[in-house]
Amino acid sequence: MEMLLNIVRMIDYDQAFEFTESEIESIGEKLAISFINSKDFKEMYLVPSLNLHLSNKYGDIIVKFKQNENLPKGIILMPVSIWSNQLTYTINGDIIYKNIKIQVEGTRDQITKFDDIIKNLKI
Amino acid sequence: MNEDKRVPCSGCSLLCDDIIVIEKDKSNYDIIGACLKGIQKFEQRNSKNRILSPYIRQNNELVKVEWDEAIKKTIKLIKGSLNPILYGFSTTSCETQLKAIKLAQKINGFIDSNSTICQGKVLNSAKKKGITTITLTEIINKSDVIILWGFNAVESIPRLLSKVLFSRGKFRLTGREIKTLIIIDTYKNASFKVLGTKDLALIVEPDKDIDLIKILKKICKNNIKLPNEGTAGIDKEDIKRFITYLLNSENIVIFIGQGLLKIQKDGNPLEKLLDLIDIINNKNKNGRISTVMMGGHYNMAGFEHIALSYIGKNQNIQFQNRKLIQTKMNIISKIKERDFDLSIIVGTDAISHFPSEISKILTSRPIILIDNRKSGTYFVADIVLPTAITGIESEGLAFRFDHVPIKLKKIMNPPNDIPNDEELLDKIISKLDKNNVNSD
Repeated sequence: MEMLLNIVRMIDYDQAFEFTESEIESIGEKLAISFINSKDFKEMYLVPSLNLHLSNKYGDIIVKFKQNENLPKGIILMPVSIWSNQLTYTINGDIIYKNIKIQVEGTRDQITKFDDIIKNLKI
Repeated sequence: MNEDKRVPCSGCSLLCDDIIVIEKDKSNYDIIGACLKGIQKFEQRNSKNRILSPYIRQNNELVKVEWDEAIKKTIKLIKGSLNPILYGFSTTSCETQLKAIKLAQKINGFIDSNSTICQGKVLNSAKKKGITTITLTEIINKSDVIILWGFNAVESIPRLLSKVLFSRGKFRLTGREIKTLIIIDTYKNASFKVLGTKDLALIVEPDKDIDLIKILKKICKNNIKLPNEGTAGIDKEDIKRFITYLLNSENIVIFIGQGLLKIQKDGNPLEKLLDLIDIINNKNKNGRISTVMMGGHYNMAGFEHIALSYIGKNQNIQFQNRKLIQTKMNIISKIKERDFDLSIIVGTDAISHFPSEISKILTSRPIILIDNRKSGTYFVADIVLPTAITGIESEGLAFRFDHVPIKLKKIMNPPNDIPNDEELLDKIISKLDKNNVNSD
């Protein structure tokens, strides 16, 4: 399903990591997360035990998700993190953080590990 | 510990100066009055992700080393570089920012701050048209309409609304009752929960802010009729109410967030918004609209001031033969075009904030990281140099989001005699000077 990804500041997620969170294992708990509308949740036949596979031509990641009634249909939110930035891109020297077209599908695969992202960067 | 227990908080760009710190013992204290973000900032001192020693990458592993070895390796890397970039600085003091610009000048580097991908865009858009700014105190005392545009105040700057919306000002004695809050965003963010009955919530369709601004401009300039179907997903009646507030209020302040920084299909919404403000300010004889650029990091505005006053340019500063030269490149295009051979990153997590295509290129060249905490960038850096936390373990000047300077205080000594950012850059500069003398 095609959705628009918006990367935003969330005090309980990215902001917490910014200063004090540390253990590699716990970073993913806070940051490898997305938020979708309940209607999208139903339309995609998701169940809470699934994860979401988010992808576009710039990259792909697997993250947890939560439902958020305040989101319009077709919008998916993620906190600012190394996970969400696997899907961002640049145009004329500007980083695009808002309304990024991505493909979203449910998956039983595990969330993308921080270590794997780092290894992929440091080739 | 400093006897003065009332300190400014460096948790975000609001720099709250009413935080009380009560010492429990030599390394612990109680924090009173700080928000969640502020408390986390103070807790960073004893957090697990604190960097307490220098590290050097050897065989793809970060190995703890002595300061002498780390500085020696740093000097070697800098001296071997023909095209270094320096980036970050929005969580460092103005004194550090000045020292970093001097270092960039000495090593013929390119230097830029986080502001270039954040609130600095507003300043750039304002270069042609000008901008009406306002201070926090003026907002508290005078503002009757507060607009959050693409900006989630509650989660970005948590105490902002308690200061500007729920406060009583000199000319706004009834406080919240006399103040109207208008929020414009693509979704109901946490700040919408603050809205009352006379406030206005405008949910705009993604990337359609510019359509809303354009119709507002037409209505304010030429008195044209509103389309029946509304605009950008916003109902006609809501737009009418919005225009009534814009044209009839005494002191409107617009807080501009990341949501309005993206170039949209029909152009730059920031430039169009500044045009709209200009039209209304010329038309409305009873009041004015002011803007505030919202950056999260506590001293994002500082770099703009320091760079502008020292070198005459606020962003994208390229030195050649120790002189400023003109460049159209910014930090992103510099990295994307691989126009660098070393990066010095100070007080920011570039790897987590940049798109992966940019981060991959950044990690393909040596990285020197100067920071006090582990981050994504820490795990790819070649040299890690720890520093004291400004505002807790060292003092310094910072510019609040409204461009008012605030002096940050030192509360405690840093662990392991870690230097502060300014001292460390000073040491690097003096070692470079010494090496130059020796080589002469």
